[in-house]
This record gives sequence, structure tokens and C-alpha cells, in this order.
Amino acid sequence: MIRKVTRSPQQTEELGAKLASVLKGREMIAMFGDLGAGKTAFTRGLCAGLGISDGVCSPTFAIVNAYSGKYPVYHFDMYRITDADDLFATGYYDYIGNGVIIIEWSENIESELEPDCIRIRISKTESENERIFEIEGLDDYADVIC
Amino acid sequence: MLMLSVDSSAAPASVCLFEDGKVIADYYLNTGFTHSQTLMAMTESVLKISGKSADMIDVYAVNNGPGSFTGVRIGVSAVKGMAYASDKPCIEVSTLQSMAYNFLGSHAVICACMDARRSQVYNALFRVNGDEIERLCDDRAIAIEDLLPELQALNDEIILVGDGAELVFGSTDNASVRLAAPQLRYQRASSVAMAALEKYNRGESVTPAALMPRYLRLSQAERERNAKKEREGNET
Repeated sequence: MIRKVTRSPQQTEELGAKLASVLKGREMIAMFGDLGAGKTAFTRGLCAGLGISDGVCSPTFAIVNAYSGKYPVYHFDMYRITDADDLFATGYYDYIGNGVIIIEWSENIESELEPDCIRIRISKTESENERIFEIEGLDDYADVIC
Repeated sequence: MLMLSVDSSAAPASVCLFEDGKVIADYYLNTGFTHSQTLMAMTESVLKISGKSADMIDVYAVNNGPGSFTGVRIGVSAVKGMAYASDKPCIEVSTLQSMAYNFLGSHAVICACMDARRSQVYNALFRVNGDEIERLCDDRAIAIEDLLPELQALNDEIILVGDGAELVFGSTDNASVRLAAPQLRYQRASSVAMAALEKYNRGESVTPAALMPRYLRLSQAERERNAKKEREGNET
């Protein structure tokens, strides 16, 4: 596991961009963390790293946003997905393997995540802008990401 | 009788015009392009080049599942819209059954498999005996490891078709199981037409409004069990 502390939304975005640099284009990235943890900031950075400069926002109501950059990126927000029927009706399974999938609120669909997905747990600390990122599944790239 | 049949249930997409016992036009693509971009263009093109127009179509047929969520929806919605405009009947065809019709006229057991991810397939078995196709089980979602003993027990020559065929083939050493040749491997609209024709002759059509996707789903319990098994598999 890679552990990385960021101290501002900007640093969180930079971490996202670094992670983007090691992607091959078909990964699933599952994020876990509370409201305000920095999931969207991280995604914004990741997309920037893939050449997607604007329009990245949390798809709370759309459920999935599709961006086109170095790879296609499918950005899910599972906050409002509460059961298997909901998830099925998003077309989630059709996206798998067709681009980079990055998921906010992975807590809600944990049994449906790909077994080999990259898992990112984001925690707040007592310091207002500080976040701890625990990244599983990219240990081979620790030098690049840290 | 002029029939327009459509398949877009997985990666390939195809459109066929079938008239009075003959396939008169057949357009098949397996390029990975989005069905929402290709399907109507293909339809327009087969009509135009055959000298037909939409108002000449008497009946529509479509693979309405199982298959990809989006793919099945695109095919069903396209047919629903066209049939609704002219109030023509629609024939629902099981994607798996349509694949068995690729082998109409031969003698074998057809095992139709579509990749349902995580070592599972959407599957049904059919016995093709010349012009007769007998369904041996309902369409279902099944783990490959549970399908293999059934194939073994059939004690017959078995041909695998569908985008899950290679997955199943790679998991078995059963010598009587073989892969369909590439031109017969996938669902296609001409086979949809052949399957639909039988249903049409039996009067099994639906109104455009009643035409619906029929998905197959694993139960939540089965999916959780599989996910757990997979996690344990990864740890060992």
C-alpha cells in the first residue's frame, strides 16, 4: 500500500495527476471517503493528467460523466446508488474494460468492484486541509506517485 | 412479407432484410463502434440499397436480451421507434436462441454463451437437428464451472457460440466441445430473422409498446458469493 499525505486541494490534484501518469487506460479506480474528503479534487487532477482540462465535476445526479482524453474516462458517483437494480440501470457493467473508470462512493457498490481494482481510501485529519491517501494496487509505481 | 431484423446485443451489430423466405440484405459490423452511431445508418443503408423503404416493412424482429445493458436497449428502442411509427408487429428473439439459428440445418448441440463477467456466462443449450431446433434449457446466468459438468453429461458433439465461447473453451478439456468458426461465432440479424420467422408463423408477435428488453440477472446473493470467492482466490 502507498500512503501519501496532502495538505491542500491543489496537492490532492497533483497526486491525481501523478497517478494518471502510470495508468494504461483500462483501470478501475475505487475511491472511499466522506463528503469533502477530496474525491472530486483528486479526480480533477487525474483527468488533467490525461489531458482533460475542464468539465470535471462530481456526477451526483448524472451518476456517470464521460470525458475524453488520452484515454476515455468514466467518472461515477455512487452516492445515490443504493441497490443492484440501480447499479445495473446505470450501464456500469458495459463500461468496465472500455476506459479508465473512477468511482466516488465505492462504499455503496463494494461487492461489484473489479477484484483487481485500484483502491484509494481518503481520510481527513485534525488539520483542516490535510488528507491521508492510502492507495492499494499500485505498489510497483510507488516511486512515481510519492 | 418483408421483415427487418436487428441485433445489437453485444459488440457486433447487424441489420437484415428478409423477404419471402430469402435473406435479401445483410449488414454486419464488429468494429467496436458505438451502436448508437451505426445501427440506424446500417438500417438506412440496407433499405436504400435494396430499393425498399421503411413503410414497406411488415414486421420487425430484434434480439431483446440477454446482452449488454446499453446494447440491448439500443436495439429494442430503435425497433420500437420504427415499428411504432407505422404500427407494425414486433418479434422478440432471445439473443442465445438466435445464435443457435446460425447452425440451422446441421446436427449438433449448440451451447450459446455470452460473457457475463467474473467467470460467468449467459447461456442456453439447443439441439439442432436439421430444420428443427429444440431448446434444452431456459436462458440463464451460470458460472462456467457449473456449466462444464452439464456439457460433459450431454455426451454429444457440442459447438460453442457467442462472445463467451472462448472463455468456456479455455476452461474445458472435453474433447467433444469445439468453437464455432468465426463467421458463425456471433449473433447476427439474419439468424434473428430465421428465429423470428418461426415465432411469426406461430402468431407470437407483440405490439411496439409491449416490446421490452429482457435482461438476465444473477441474484444479489449469488453475486456476493462470487465476489467473495474471487477475493479469496486472489489472496491465495
